[in-house]
Amino acid sequence: MKPICTNRFDRLIETLSRTAAQRVSRRSFLSNCGTWLVAASALPLLPVARQAQASDDPHRSKAAGKYASDFANHAQTSDPTKCNYWRYCSSDGYLCACCGGGPSTCPAGTSPSPTSWVGSCINPDDGKTYLIAYRDCCGQDSCGRCACLGQEGDMPSYRPQVNNDIVWCFGASSMVYHCSSAGLVGLVE
Amino acid sequence: MRASVRCALRCCGVALLWAAAASAHAQNIPATNVPDAITRKTGLHLEPMSHASRLYAENCQGCHGPEGVSVTEIPTLAGRIGYFARTPEGRSYLVQVPNVALNPNSDQDIAELMNWLLNTYSRAQLPPDFQPYSTAEVAVLRTARIDVATQRRRIVEQLLLLRQIPSADVLANAHASLY
Repeated sequence: MKPICTNRFDRLIETLSRTAAQRVSRRSFLSNCGTWLVAASALPLLPVARQAQASDDPHRSKAAGKYASDFANHAQTSDPTKCNYWRYCSSDGYLCACCGGGPSTCPAGTSPSPTSWVGSCINPDDGKTYLIAYRDCCGQDSCGRCACLGQEGDMPSYRPQVNNDIVWCFGASSMVYHCSSAGLVGLVE
Repeated sequence: MRASVRCALRCCGVALLWAAAASAHAQNIPATNVPDAITRKTGLHLEPMSHASRLYAENCQGCHGPEGVSVTEIPTLAGRIGYFARTPEGRSYLVQVPNVALNPNSDQDIAELMNWLLNTYSRAQLPPDFQPYSTAEVAVLRTARIDVATQRRRIVEQLLLLRQIPSADVLANAHASLY
């Protein structure tokens, strides 16, 4: 059939579309289109590279890091004046290491509380879990340096034995909180 | 011309000072007093804790102390909890104390913890025929909610009457509100 259009470009397009209309079945176009639609929507359902999301074992999942504890994945073992020092995974308060004391010693002028709460942290050096006693240093005003908030194993205040929001100066000569220390209790595994 | 040279020299000096300061800042001061550095250097090797002592450390030690003795606000465990095991009521009481009964650990763990606790801190006070707690026994005992102070007073009176304790003082607490 002779093209109706006079313009050269229009004629080319007309010829192409007429040829396509004569040679290509519209039914096949619809079925092909449907196939692609279904294929595109079904593609994400295929079990391809979904191991990371599906895996509940943290050691196998790269996205989740090496340990189940997110804190341990970013922890270090050389600077106790930083919040990510491995023992501070449950420490809430000012680090004694920044206040004139050490990670497990009280600064001069304060006294360690006779009571503490015990949590557990992973040491990234050996990948083992250690029990840590979170012991507040009491008797001086708040230190105010290196405020950190670790929340591993922290429970709401209705379980005060394992809560880090309360002042752990029970039994100390003064209930005035100064800073938080983290002493090693022992190796778990 | 002279002014521009002086300016360039001054800029150079500032840049040098800045570089020196930056390199001093970047220098790593060896952290010799960090416990982990010491541990790594000395090769200190810790033995893993037993399951029972871990349970004690995680659930009791913070307040009751690593030796079972703490400040007067916290009842002493060492050298006296064994007395309670000398009567059936006292034996139940040890598991029905709120912090034992309501502990999130399993009945099996509580049984193991109680047996370890009694044998470690108060073996001398245990009755000669002491039977260790079983998981089933703990499971039943834990469901009861008792009036702790009243029950404790009753048990101490009973122990005294049965001549199981030399005097009420051995189980007395520094504060009346304690149990």
